Amino acid sequence: MRRATVAALAGAALLVVLLPHAGEGQVKSGQPDLNGFWQALNTAHWDLEAHDAGPGPILQLGAAHAVPPGLGVVMGGPIPYKPEALAMKKKYAANALKEDGEIKCYLPGVPRMMYMPYPVQIVQSTEFILMMSEFATAQRTINMMTNDRPPADTWMGWSNGRWEGETLVIDSRGFLGSTIGALDPEGAIEVRFLDRAGNYHTDGLHVVERIRRTGPDHLSYEATIEDPNVYTRPWTISMPLYRRLEPNMQLGEFKCEEFVSDLVYGKYQKGTGQ
Amino acid sequence: MRHRIVLMAAGFVLSALGLAAQGSYRVPRTADGQPDLQGFWTNLTYTPFERSRELASKPFYTEQEAIDFFNRAIAGSQDQIVHYVNGDFGATPVQTGARPNRRTSLVIDPADGRIPPLTPEAQRRQQALLAADKARGPLAQTWRDDRGTVWCVFHDRAVPAVVAPYGSNYHIVQSKDWIVMTYEWNTERRVIALDGRPHAPASVRTYTGDSRGHWEGDTLVVVTRNFTPKRTFLGQPGTPPAVEASPALTLVERFTRTAGDTLVHTYTVTDAATWTRPWTVELPMHQIKGPMLEYACNENNQDGFAALKNARLEEAGKLAPLEAMRRGDAKAAIAGHEESGAAKVIGADGEKK
Repeated sequence: MRRATVAALAGAALLVVLLPHAGEGQVKSGQPDLNGFWQALNTAHWDLEAHDAGPGPILQLGAAHAVPPGLGVVMGGPIPYKPEALAMKKKYAANALKEDGEIKCYLPGVPRMMYMPYPVQIVQSTEFILMMSEFATAQRTINMMTNDRPPADTWMGWSNGRWEGETLVIDSRGFLGSTIGALDPEGAIEVRFLDRAGNYHTDGLHVVERIRRTGPDHLSYEATIEDPNVYTRPWTISMPLYRRLEPNMQLGEFKCEEFVSDLVYGKYQKGTGQ
Repeated sequence: MRHRIVLMAAGFVLSALGLAAQGSYRVPRTADGQPDLQGFWTNLTYTPFERSRELASKPFYTEQEAIDFFNRAIAGSQDQIVHYVNGDFGATPVQTGARPNRRTSLVIDPADGRIPPLTPEAQRRQQALLAADKARGPLAQTWRDDRGTVWCVFHDRAVPAVVAPYGSNYHIVQSKDWIVMTYEWNTERRVIALDGRPHAPASVRTYTGDSRGHWEGDTLVVVTRNFTPKRTFLGQPGTPPAVEASPALTLVERFTRTAGDTLVHTYTVTDAATWTRPWTVELPMHQIKGPMLEYACNENNQDGFAALKNARLEEAGKLAPLEAMRRGDAKAAIAGHEESGAAKVIGADGEKK
């Protein structure tokens, strides 16, 4: 009798193990569950490298838009710029109000979207993983079932993903490097900023990201950034991403085009239209 | 070219006409057991939004009439007088997946297939809008002229879905608690909660609205409200003139897969302060091949720059008159301008050299 009970219990336990089921932290199909709202809590958005606090770009904004200090998220020291590219970085930094795509509500690209001070919602299915930023309705479609080359260069690039054990590995290429030729030449941006400090990449960008859950409410996020046009070698950033735990959390609508159109088109406009 | 398109159209007509007759079809399920609506879809169609008055009592064509209507529409779309010939870009409806539809209009309720009359107060709102447009004149003034559509703020044909001339493609991705519908044009994105949460507070107002979804059998039901007063509804081309809605406007949508390659989308718009009764649209969505590429409207907005820049040039007498340019008749535009002594040579960008 007792032996039969033990056998029945063991059988039931075996059945539970063998049946497909979603374990803690997994989706039904068995992969790690990355669904949710994630956000960086650091100063990478202001400057990927270690930096002191500093004033903001507009005198009147005072402390409200000053730069908070940070120890940097670049593994193993400063970004390995080629000498001429470092000189350009300093030029771009000094001219950020014109050159930074964020000012004009342009799509932020990769990896920048992942550490902006806006939530990123992940919606995970088997074939695609969507990563959606609140900023400028930016989003990435991670192709999990195919490994195609980018069909065209785009602002957010072309991302192919795969699971390596518990880690999501995303390989992204096919990035546009500027708006030159597309727009009003005076308003064109020459390169793509990675942060507000003028760190930048060109259309030679290749990014490999590694994302894994380190707890119920944390992701480990790493991105290796390669661009032979400007860096001497690939370099890596690393940071945790935190779950936004508000029970009513959702992406707000941040259509920043309406906040920047007077700035971008102002010189061709007549009146304010208001 | 035209013959090839017509033949291609006739080839899939027979399978596409019987939207409702799909009794044995079983809707696929996701790993979470929900109806699987995922994939790439288009709602492009040649079927008019409102029914013509001659067909008021005829909601359906016969199969042959539907095929004839479709083929006439294809032929007509090859004869555009615009500066883009959409067919050259693979962008006419038939090239991007439109199929014949036995319905004679997309509006299925009221019974005459037409949008119901506006309330007297909404008529005044609409008149004020038209008067403001008229007062502004034909030249672009600011990005606010069209409430931001050309300037990539919001594409007002996305929610509720009103078929656009092209680019009406959708990518649907779902998890257990969320379904995301990304509309290609201006990346109008709807992230719809399925977890039963209440709507956002009434003070939160957005262009695409606040959407909540739930499953009723095989059907996804989505209720959307909280639309911003900054936007308008409907508008040319193809639908009645644009109107501002009241804060009470509510959109109730139903999405049902009726075949492997068909997702039927119906929606009802209710706003008693604007329309004298609710109205309902049925839009078949057909599966198309992915991927759907990034739209990047703001980043590549040639139209926005050109409209404003050329308007200022025209005011300064440095540009051919807009009407001839709009007709794509550059020679006539230049000739007309030369006769008036205003310009001698006009470059490819329309600017006087």
